[in-house]
Amino acid sequence: MTITTPRVAPTASRSASLLKVDDLTVQFGRGPGQVKAVEEVSLTLERGELCALVGESGCGKSTLAYALMGIVPPPGKVVGGTIEFQGNPITSMSKNQLNKLRGAEMSMVFQGAMNAFNPVLTIGTQVDHILEAHPDVHPTKQAGRQYFAELLSLVQLSPERIVKSFESQLSGGMKQRVAIAVALLLKPALLILDEPTTALDVLNQRMVIEILKDLHRELDLTIIFVTHDLAVVAELATKVAVMYAGRLVEVGDVDAIFAGEFRHPYVKALISAIPSVLEAGLTVKPIGGQVPNLAQLPPGCRFAPRCGLAEPHCTEVEPALTVRGDHGVACHVIARETGPDTTTFPSSKEDA
Amino acid sequence: MSTLSVRDVTHSYPTSPRRVLTDVNLEIPEGEMVAIVGESGCGKTTLGRLISGLHQPSEGTIEFNGKDINSLRGGERKQWRRRVQMVHQDPYGSLNPGLTLAGTLAPGLLVHKVATHRTVERTMIDLLQQVGLDATPAFLNRYPHQLSGGQRQRVSIARAIGLEPDLIVADEVTSMLDVSMRVAILDLLIKFRQERGLGYAFISHDFGVVRYFARGGRIAVMFFGRIVEEGPVDEVIISPAHPYTRMLLESIPIPDPVLARERHLDQAERLIGTPAQKGCVFANRCPMVQPECRTAMPPLAPTPGASGDRPRRSACLFPERVEPLTHVQKERVLKEHHVATVGGGQRDDRPGNRDVDPGLGGSSGDQEPSEQVG
Repeated sequence: MTITTPRVAPTASRSASLLKVDDLTVQFGRGPGQVKAVEEVSLTLERGELCALVGESGCGKSTLAYALMGIVPPPGKVVGGTIEFQGNPITSMSKNQLNKLRGAEMSMVFQGAMNAFNPVLTIGTQVDHILEAHPDVHPTKQAGRQYFAELLSLVQLSPERIVKSFESQLSGGMKQRVAIAVALLLKPALLILDEPTTALDVLNQRMVIEILKDLHRELDLTIIFVTHDLAVVAELATKVAVMYAGRLVEVGDVDAIFAGEFRHPYVKALISAIPSVLEAGLTVKPIGGQVPNLAQLPPGCRFAPRCGLAEPHCTEVEPALTVRGDHGVACHVIARETGPDTTTFPSSKEDA
Repeated sequence: MSTLSVRDVTHSYPTSPRRVLTDVNLEIPEGEMVAIVGESGCGKTTLGRLISGLHQPSEGTIEFNGKDINSLRGGERKQWRRRVQMVHQDPYGSLNPGLTLAGTLAPGLLVHKVATHRTVERTMIDLLQQVGLDATPAFLNRYPHQLSGGQRQRVSIARAIGLEPDLIVADEVTSMLDVSMRVAILDLLIKFRQERGLGYAFISHDFGVVRYFARGGRIAVMFFGRIVEEGPVDEVIISPAHPYTRMLLESIPIPDPVLARERHLDQAERLIGTPAQKGCVFANRCPMVQPECRTAMPPLAPTPGASGDRPRRSACLFPERVEPLTHVQKERVLKEHHVATVGGGQRDDRPGNRDVDPGLGGSSGDQEPSEQVG
């Protein structure tokens, strides 16, 4: 399979990070009912990284992904901080500038890609519409169609069949893969996927994981994917950012997130909550309680009410990200002591 | 003794000639957990719906205590309706948005005379308490939209167990829930099994969930409307006897980046595809397919060495050639290593005879006795 590498935006300064999120806050509503779905999040992404945004429902991970694309749905609004993409500030761009960027430089596959297609047009027609709206990416429409066919082969689908199909003729797993191919049609440098494996069975999930790995390698893509499944994270990501109740609580290399002492208790709890086919899965522990209502956040650390390590201090002062190397953890207790095995999440201890 | 048996069931929906189920045979004895596993579209949900009587099979019978459920009439039929309950996949779609929790729970209790008008509120509050919800009259007046996904699923469970059933058909009950909530819901179902001796037909595509939930139970793996492998949960997971089971197991993402990288995976193009028209349905996707496989569909037969009145069954001509998954065993070695270095635990008390070097442990289809956990 020969596919040309994506073009680099002319304005990009090559040395800078691909994406730089600084102190970003996204707010919904105003006055007393306002909630900050994303609060003071900072995150840097280098070219070629495969980054997972992780958390439970309602942690702000999808909102963060929307903010990166500049498409936070109203009444949501970016009220603080900046996002720089290829050195350009997205947060202060005009609608026209953003439209040029979206699709062509950064592209998104939404959650429930099964419903992302127009049911009365064939996939081929829908792709033609995209090519007409963005005539500057491919020299001719024919070249664009050819490129789409190559992408379909990359996602293990037969191009002849797919372009003639209507959405209703494809299975859920196939639609997800077609959606990924469509998102890559304009050769973006950054691909954002919201819950790409969630509604799929194991085989389709595996297929999507392998395809994303291939695309990442072959197209030199940078990928951000949102998920709540840490097993998928372990398989796919190189970098992980974990969110809890709107805040970034841990960010680092995938290996660091899954091992060692310097880890957030929430992340440990999430990992030990996975019923795995491995024997370790037999000792799983649920996390008690639930993500707090963003309109009534507890004082101090937002995870403290569910945390087995919580100390009085935790319910008073919100912890900042403590950074060691390129690994950051927002926890008072973990930051203070990283002694031997004292940091095990207590609920998993009693079963030993 | 109430046993549910599926006998030679073949089913197709009136809208399409395609067979959704073909020659399915399955027993669910009283108090047993049987997990039904397979990819989307393999017929597992249809089987669940047939078991709970929502559809009639096109051919074959579903028997409850030896009687065809479609021949039951009057009181007997009502009795059976109460004894087999279903918990649906989607907690957002399975509760009537226009009814309060009381409106959802009460009718079943009254119709089946589990409670009277005088006692029904008390009964419902007891139920809320049993499923871990806020056991107050005020909570009974809530509507589904005021509840989270996990809470709704608890209400669905309360609705089912309130009728004191013998068997619950649980269709992907955790697939729409957050990871943090899944185990709590599974634990709740396990609790009812232990307290009341409930049996479960547990439909899922997640082997991790199945292994956790159906400990000590059995597993039936379905492919394209047929059961291709059936046996005790741990045996099937540790040493699969059908290449399709192995493929499913191998595809499961592992929450360990080091193991995930080390693993060798089958080629992706085998993962998905159409079933073979002639011979074994799995032949087109099978990594170990032989010319013999193309002649006829192998019957679901006991595997070599299997014994007992319910031997392990596989619909593969070469069950002994299916290699066990090394990473399932490797994980055990890593964990032991961890236990040894941390010096923390005597946790690993499970049989030691399988814990040899995973590199050597491969190839044979040795049947290990399954250990009952929990």
